[in-house]
Amino acid sequence: MSLIQTENLTKIYGSGETAVTALDHVNIQIKEGEFVAVMGPSGCGKSTLLHLLGGLDRSTDGIVIIEGTSLAEMKDDDLTKLRRQKIGFVFQFYNLIPVLTAVENASLPVTLDGAKPAEARKRAAEWLERFGLGGRLNNRPDQLSGGQQQRVALARALVAEPALILADEPTGNLDTRSGDEIASLLRDVTKKYGRTVVMVTHDPRIAAYADRIIFLKDGKVVDETNLERKGGAEKIASKMKEIGD
Amino acid sequence: MNLQLTLAWRYLNGRKLRTFLTTLAVIFGVLIIFGMNIILPTMLASFQANMMAATGTVDATITHQTGGGFSPDVADGLGGIDGVRAVALSLNRTVNLPADFVDGDPAIPDRISVVSLIGIDPESAQSLRVYLVQGSGRFLDPTDTTATVISQSLADAYRVQLGNTIALPSVSGVMDLTVVGILPTRTTPGNEEVLVTLPQAQVMIGQADQINTIDIALETMDEAERAAILAKIEEAVGENYTIGSLEPGSEMFASLKMGQIAMNMFGVLALFMGGFIIFNTFRTVVAERRRDIGMLRAIGARRHTITAVILIEGLLQGVIGSGIGLVLGYLMGAGVVQLAEPAMNAFLNIDMGTPVVSPALVATSVLLGVGVTILSGLIPAQNASKVTPMDALRPSVAEVETRRRMSAGAIAGIALVILAITALASGDSTFIALGSILFLVGLILVAPLLLRPIAFAFGKLTSLLYTRQGIGEIAQGNLTRQPSRVVITASATMIGLAIVVALGGMSSSLSSMMNQVVHSSLGSDYLLIPPSISVWSGDMGTGPEFTERLQAIDGVGDISTLRFAASAVNGQPISLLGINPETYPRVSGLDFMQGDDSAYENLAEGRAMIVNGSFLMAFPDIQVGDQVELATANGSQAYTIVAVGSDLLNAKVVTAFISQANLAADFGRTDDVFIQFNLQPGVELEDVDAQIREVAADYPQYTVVVGKSYIDQMLQLLNVVFVGMYFLLAFLALPSLIAMINTLAISVIERRREIGMLRAVGATRKQIRRMVVAEALLLAAVGTAFGIASGMYLGYVLVDALSTMFPMEYMFPLGGILGGIAIGLIFGALAAIVPARQAAKLEVVEALRYE
Repeated sequence: MSLIQTENLTKIYGSGETAVTALDHVNIQIKEGEFVAVMGPSGCGKSTLLHLLGGLDRSTDGIVIIEGTSLAEMKDDDLTKLRRQKIGFVFQFYNLIPVLTAVENASLPVTLDGAKPAEARKRAAEWLERFGLGGRLNNRPDQLSGGQQQRVALARALVAEPALILADEPTGNLDTRSGDEIASLLRDVTKKYGRTVVMVTHDPRIAAYADRIIFLKDGKVVDETNLERKGGAEKIASKMKEIGD
Repeated sequence: MNLQLTLAWRYLNGRKLRTFLTTLAVIFGVLIIFGMNIILPTMLASFQANMMAATGTVDATITHQTGGGFSPDVADGLGGIDGVRAVALSLNRTVNLPADFVDGDPAIPDRISVVSLIGIDPESAQSLRVYLVQGSGRFLDPTDTTATVISQSLADAYRVQLGNTIALPSVSGVMDLTVVGILPTRTTPGNEEVLVTLPQAQVMIGQADQINTIDIALETMDEAERAAILAKIEEAVGENYTIGSLEPGSEMFASLKMGQIAMNMFGVLALFMGGFIIFNTFRTVVAERRRDIGMLRAIGARRHTITAVILIEGLLQGVIGSGIGLVLGYLMGAGVVQLAEPAMNAFLNIDMGTPVVSPALVATSVLLGVGVTILSGLIPAQNASKVTPMDALRPSVAEVETRRRMSAGAIAGIALVILAITALASGDSTFIALGSILFLVGLILVAPLLLRPIAFAFGKLTSLLYTRQGIGEIAQGNLTRQPSRVVITASATMIGLAIVVALGGMSSSLSSMMNQVVHSSLGSDYLLIPPSISVWSGDMGTGPEFTERLQAIDGVGDISTLRFAASAVNGQPISLLGINPETYPRVSGLDFMQGDDSAYENLAEGRAMIVNGSFLMAFPDIQVGDQVELATANGSQAYTIVAVGSDLLNAKVVTAFISQANLAADFGRTDDVFIQFNLQPGVELEDVDAQIREVAADYPQYTVVVGKSYIDQMLQLLNVVFVGMYFLLAFLALPSLIAMINTLAISVIERRREIGMLRAVGATRKQIRRMVVAEALLLAAVGTAFGIASGMYLGYVLVDALSTMFPMEYMFPLGGILGGIAIGLIFGALAAIVPARQAAKLEVVEALRYE
């Protein structure tokens, strides 16, 4: 059974002559425990898709269904609650609060959900230790490298034990080595911890860590590829060329 | 709640400089309100402590509602009322002493500058209080004349022992009193007492057969019974008398109240500005943290959680700012009290006590400080909660306000400004004062419309400065694309400068008027000045023989004196001054606001009086030509108001001038408290000076001053006051600097990408810096333009309000305007320093990548 699916999902920005169709009747299904990468040329609508899946933005038409519930009917507060409990986000620029320490940043979602500070801290610390940051719990973001910051962000996405992780260009701001580390951690998230990950990227090498790739162009799904591990990156790159990146 | 508090605290801590600057605004407002409101009550409390000599443990004190003397017959029958244990009559008088009168040594600071002369009936006084006469001394005997009983501490100050004499000024020159008994050292607050027999006091004070206080002790302590007895006493003495503890100081209060109102206005304006600044700062904060806030929303923070973070930040700042403001305000209050002590001592003969702080004042100050902060934070907090999760992910493009239509606000603004100007034309003080608020609010509303032309005009100027670089145009564009935000900042500048220009205008009008009044009312050749000017009731006067002796000196011309009596109109105390209608205009003179010199003749003819501006302010229903009932010791008397005029000394006290003949007939006062005289034509100062000083030496209550030098001294003092006022003004304009820094900081933050782009296409760091500076100067220019416009209006209002008290005209505040422009532009340049450096320091790549 799919954890998340869309039905004719459409998003149009602006109106009249200046209207831009970012997503055009997109139908996708993502299973529990799957690691899916969304790829496509600039302006293909991949970020828009991710925002709609996460309930960050509202669709013009069509619906997103998470665990059988349509997001379209939810009020802002309910969406907020859904994000807090079911979805974890990872952003390209980490978006850590500069004045909070690593462990405080990572514990934000559970703190916001009303957990006791000690409990929230314990859960965040566990995830940070799993990601190799056990020794940097009390460092502020400006005392961490980019890769370390993104791992804090990843811990923050997982701390509330959500079923779904949405990652928007999570390696876009990192060097190759850190990028690989984050991508393989995301893979672990699905394989070791049984979460579902949807990741937007334009880097074929990073996309190769996924189980499946959805290619978007001009707001439409143009192809889907199930990947084998070997030689993935090259195949993806040629596919991208094919659809005109 | 915990998380919000942590976040708020960490954010504040992370931006120490800005937190400091913003909090400074709150500190400022609270400081001024708190500090200023400490000063007045402290002065009053000191005054009352000094005046309230001997209320002691008596149960009730009866005084005439005017505070003046009355016949002892009033007490008849009081002793017969059931429950009254004892009744004691006395004549009390606060006697201000000249400098070095007690110790005779200028090197030692005077510890005793004022005493209470108390005439008592020894028997009944002892039935009310216990007088512990020490050693071999004795208490007063009813047959005593020049005998006195004083405390050990006063004896020490005079350096006398039992059997020695002490000197005290009286209406007929210095009186020597033999110390027959010494009481223990005085420990309670209030003046040292000089006890003499009632007849002796009546002689010394010059109020034959009069008393001014009846003290009563009751037999019971039961509240209900006491109230019943007091009601009976009240009935027995009639409505012209006041029962209760003495409450002197109404004259003083009136003169200080004006100052307090003005200072409170300052404080409120400072807080108002503070509100603007906080509002602006929070807008900066929200702009800076868009991504943080968006992320919080994305991972599940509710709207109200975000609102709470911002509001808690405001609350923290409000609490901290108010706290510091309280401390600094207290220090300022205490400091001013300290600084004012010499002046208060010289002019009013008051020793200042410790600063008085009422819990209500603390509560009000904190409430205002915290309230303003939270209120100002509300809108930005609301805006913060509207930040969507998308903002965490999407590059934020600086918004451009496209609407240029006439908004409802602008129309309302125009209406308000027109209304304010109409109010000005109406000539009604209340309308005009109201109009000043309307004018300010109106200008703020209209401002977005005016911004474009003003920015355009000044933009031309800046383009001239930075020729051929296009910097001026960009800066101008940056400003006009978000008029409403610019206007908010400009408004803070506007209020700051409005105050500078308004008060500049007021003080130039005031100082020219002061010059004129000082010369006309104090323009005599000689002045004999008592220790306390304008609070006349504390001055020991002199009898007619003194002026007779002066007149006898060859070369002395016209002599004019002021005599004082307390009275009341509709139960409200007023100061009555007796003048000689013939000599007064020749030696001194009033500045008339209504009527002219012919009014003096009216005074001589019948029960007529000239009132001052404060009188009309105190009794708005009364006009020239009206008959007014004045309370006298023997019932009330109707006096006709024939003119409105004022002199310098009494301008701020509710005062009426009547003839000395009437003052003697109706109020029984014939002693002079202030003397001015001229020399005959052709007589040189040197010829008579020694003789005059010799005669005056017998009356040490006066200081002999040559008119010319006194005027110089007064004008010098006034100058000091004005300099102090300008200093305060500059102080007050300071917060507008903070506001400008904030607005500039926001615009730099919001335009990082643009700045990066400019740098990428070839703008040098210097050019970027210049662009921000040009923007700051434009911003300052806009604020300055508005500030000057509203300052002129406010100044007119202030002068108008004061002109009811002083004869003054509005003078065009050229100095204030030039000062305002200078301050505005200097602040603009100062405000630009930090943001300009930030913008210039921006790495190109960093700025371009910043979303």
